[in-house]
Amino acid sequence: MSKGQEGVLPQGKEQENLLVMLERAQSEFGYVPEEFIVEAAHSLNVSISEVYGVATFYSFLSTKPLGKNVIRICKSLPCYLKNSQMIIKSVEDEIGIKPGETTPDGKFSFELTNCIGACDEAPAMLINNDVHVNLTPGKISQILKSYK
Amino acid sequence: MRKIEKITVTIDGSQVSGCEGMTILELAQQNGIDIPTLCHSPELTPIGACRICVVAVEGSRTLVGSCHTPITQGMVIYTHSPKVLETRKVIVELLLASHCGSCYMCEKANVCQLRKIAADLEVGLPRFQTRKRYYPIEDVSPYIQRDLSKCVLCWRCVRACNEIAKQNVFGIAYRGFNSKVVVDFDQPIDKEVCQDCNVCIDICPTGALSKPREVGEEKKGRPLVISS
Repeated sequence: MSKGQEGVLPQGKEQENLLVMLERAQSEFGYVPEEFIVEAAHSLNVSISEVYGVATFYSFLSTKPLGKNVIRICKSLPCYLKNSQMIIKSVEDEIGIKPGETTPDGKFSFELTNCIGACDEAPAMLINNDVHVNLTPGKISQILKSYK
Repeated sequence: MRKIEKITVTIDGSQVSGCEGMTILELAQQNGIDIPTLCHSPELTPIGACRICVVAVEGSRTLVGSCHTPITQGMVIYTHSPKVLETRKVIVELLLASHCGSCYMCEKANVCQLRKIAADLEVGLPRFQTRKRYYPIEDVSPYIQRDLSKCVLCWRCVRACNEIAKQNVFGIAYRGFNSKVVVDFDQPIDKEVCQDCNVCIDICPTGALSKPREVGEEKKGRPLVISS
């Protein structure tokens, strides 16, 4: 583990610190590295599989490095009923990757997420921390252009 | 020393008493009432993952899992009401809907608890058409073989490994349909600590965990020689 990673670990040894640790790793490194998971498991005295389980459960934690901009389209029911499948398709066409992938130039990562609380303006997506709502396939290319 | 309180409850119409801290399931079993269970095992911490042991409790908004709900004074419990039976049946149907369904080929078919419960509850052909969970068989380890397509996520292996074997080999990762029992970073199981253990294999209710069969194992006896 590098020096930078040590600073991210909180002092407490309690297991309830796990999620906080993973969130910090995510914001510090842009993902949760494997070495970090090993170290976290050690310091909290839990198994690696348990830490990996928590890290893979949450949509906003990633165990793989992500691109510069992260697109997260809501896959929950209200957005689905408002045709989020079409939005997913048009993002795929626009940047040429499927959910779970990162563009070769590292500019975009494309993820599906659980509800982001914008159901009243569905379908919705997040790009980094910006919420985009009332999406139509026509709006996608312009929105993405502003992040290129 | 604190005196253990006696608690009186009504279970299926008859008044019975139990001790403080007992679960509904334990009280039912003590009184000869059979409640089916899948994820529950007396030697493990109850977690109520499978919901097959649900019962109706008067005044409760939902059905409750009997394996993890403690009895309280004056509780009125129904273990076999029509709603309870129907719920159990649908739960099994849902478990079977994404199960691989290859009972004919499964070595554990005749000791499978999922299949036994399905038969007991008279669950027929699956009503729900959905994707099947599929994972390739993990046969890297000489001590344990995992076929996760048959896993019903009861957490028994996870708990048994933590609580009985004290090895913490397993965890559950991912979410929803993709949930899966994993080892470390979702690697095929191949651990030295699994060598003489078998705790999880014995406790698995389905064919998901088994001992790898060695070629020729069944033919160890002396060859039959017929002399004329």
